[in-house]
Amino acid sequence: MEEKKRRMHALVARAVFVVALLGIWEYVAKSGMMGEKSELIFPSLEVIADAFIKNFVQGFAGMSLWVYIGNSMRLLLEGLLLGIVLAFLLSGLSMVSKTFYDICNLVISVFDLLPGVALLPVVIIIFGVKPGVIVFLVVHAVLWPMARNVLDGFLAVPQIYIEAGMNMGLKGVSLLWGVYIPAATSYIVSGLKVGWARAWRGLISAEMIFGVASCPGIGLYINQMRTNMNNAEMYATLVVIIIIGLVVQYGVLSPIEKCTVKKWGMSR
Amino acid sequence: MLYKNKFKKRKGDSIMKKHLRLLAVCLGIAVLAAGCGNSGQAQEASKGQEGTSQDAAGQDGAAQADSAGGEAVTLNIAYQYGLAYAPLSIVKEQELIEKAYEEATGDQVKVTWNQMSSGADINTGISAGSIDAGFMGVGPAVTGVTKGVGYKIFTNLSGQEHGMMSNDENIKSFDDLIGSSNQIALVNIGSFQHILLAMALENAGHDPHALDSNIVAMAHPDGMAALESGNVSCHLTSSPYIFKEREEGNLHEIQDVADAWGVDGSFIVGVASEKMHDDNPELYQVLCGAIKEAVDFMNESPEEAAKITCEFDGNSEADELAYIQKSKYSIETSGVFELASFMARTEFIENAPKAYEDLVFDNVTGD
Repeated sequence: MEEKKRRMHALVARAVFVVALLGIWEYVAKSGMMGEKSELIFPSLEVIADAFIKNFVQGFAGMSLWVYIGNSMRLLLEGLLLGIVLAFLLSGLSMVSKTFYDICNLVISVFDLLPGVALLPVVIIIFGVKPGVIVFLVVHAVLWPMARNVLDGFLAVPQIYIEAGMNMGLKGVSLLWGVYIPAATSYIVSGLKVGWARAWRGLISAEMIFGVASCPGIGLYINQMRTNMNNAEMYATLVVIIIIGLVVQYGVLSPIEKCTVKKWGMSR
Repeated sequence: MLYKNKFKKRKGDSIMKKHLRLLAVCLGIAVLAAGCGNSGQAQEASKGQEGTSQDAAGQDGAAQADSAGGEAVTLNIAYQYGLAYAPLSIVKEQELIEKAYEEATGDQVKVTWNQMSSGADINTGISAGSIDAGFMGVGPAVTGVTKGVGYKIFTNLSGQEHGMMSNDENIKSFDDLIGSSNQIALVNIGSFQHILLAMALENAGHDPHALDSNIVAMAHPDGMAALESGNVSCHLTSSPYIFKEREEGNLHEIQDVADAWGVDGSFIVGVASEKMHDDNPELYQVLCGAIKEAVDFMNESPEEAAKITCEFDGNSEADELAYIQKSKYSIETSGVFELASFMARTEFIENAPKAYEDLVFDNVTGD
């Protein structure tokens, strides 16, 4: 009962907040606060809603926004999966070998600081000009924060668990699989959250700078709309990005959290 | 048990508190939004004051300031980087606008130069009212005028050479590219270079959008690097990159693109907000005059101009001079209406302009 009330409350609070925010947006748009050309640069909600539908029905250059979203999601998934696998590989190997840990720690610290788009010229020279470059940038965005989180999680596993595992005859990979990973799940889940957000942002910004027209993504679409001064369509695309983000957050990440760390009582 | 009781008791208060907090958050946002509006006004006001004090320093500033409604005389200009914008370096360095305005009205004008990275950014800046005049490719300018951003073209600035280079021996014409997976690097989709590609395709009897899916959007230097390293097969670019690429032995040119739009056609134009044109005609005249003066200077004494502009463009003085001599600086537009009509016909823009006069202010000559 308490739980239900609490959830109801959260829902109401969020709804009020969103409505207030939209109200302010509409007020600013209608009041002409943004100067004479307010309509063009700060469109009202109705106009954005129309543009939202237009994005999917009409799209740009004869392609609906679905096509762009599809392309982006495909590249994102490839990059995300590759990044997660590599993150586990790096942090797993670091637990097994001390030398590898020392090097890996340095590599993570260095590369986590470099923004992906700044690497673009180098990436183009090495990988050429193909959608693979975007995948590379997504991997770059996910790998380092994820590896850092997983590594921190492994380091936080209490010594006593590890010793218990060793007493049961686990070592190397089986120790990693049997003790380290289950014990570090809360770190891994938070790494997933950070990694996903970074990947999504990295993807859009990479697409905005580097557009491969044979595989156009959401970032390219935003750029297109900006170039053509279709600001309402641009804002509508940002809404699409938010919606996709929320769907992944509440549809994928939250359930994972619920089934693991919350169920096991590792986090509230 | 004990814990639960305590919890319940707290909960009663806390719901109340939470509602209050929520209200506070909403109010906070409202205040913040209002604050933004107010601070904008406050800034306006302080600008006004600054203007008056500046005017007072002038000869008969007080009267002038009154007649101008107490507004400060400021001019925000946005421009981009490169050889095509060279006359602006002269205007900026020699303070041509400041000098001419003082001569014409006896007042001071504060000119702010902003370097921006694309015509789209400048379009947004002008429609938001934070920029009075901007310089950009004729493509984005036509888009802006027909979209109703609230500006028109007030001068031509320069024409440049454009061309498409290839590193693949087998690519000799568009026929070798259409339907293939060869990639063409150019600066942006919907950019002037993209329009040029469409134009060249049409001239050669193809669908103007036949190569759209072969495009890779890359900044000029990145595109040049990608062409040289063999990562793309073609690069459609403008001066000075096209000059550099033409000097390389292992690259050859696809001639159609250079033929579609030569150095005589308008490439970079200046746009001025209608507000500035209507509210401050003196300043508008001064701006036009300053650009003309700089353009004339570039044409009459390119050697001296190169000395000033080479620093800004990052070229050696000799290179800069050679590039300037290969460019065309003029205040007369050329082919703008033709380009706009082409853009409307091939769906680069939605609203077709009816006449040349829809695109430019009265003082502009050309076509």
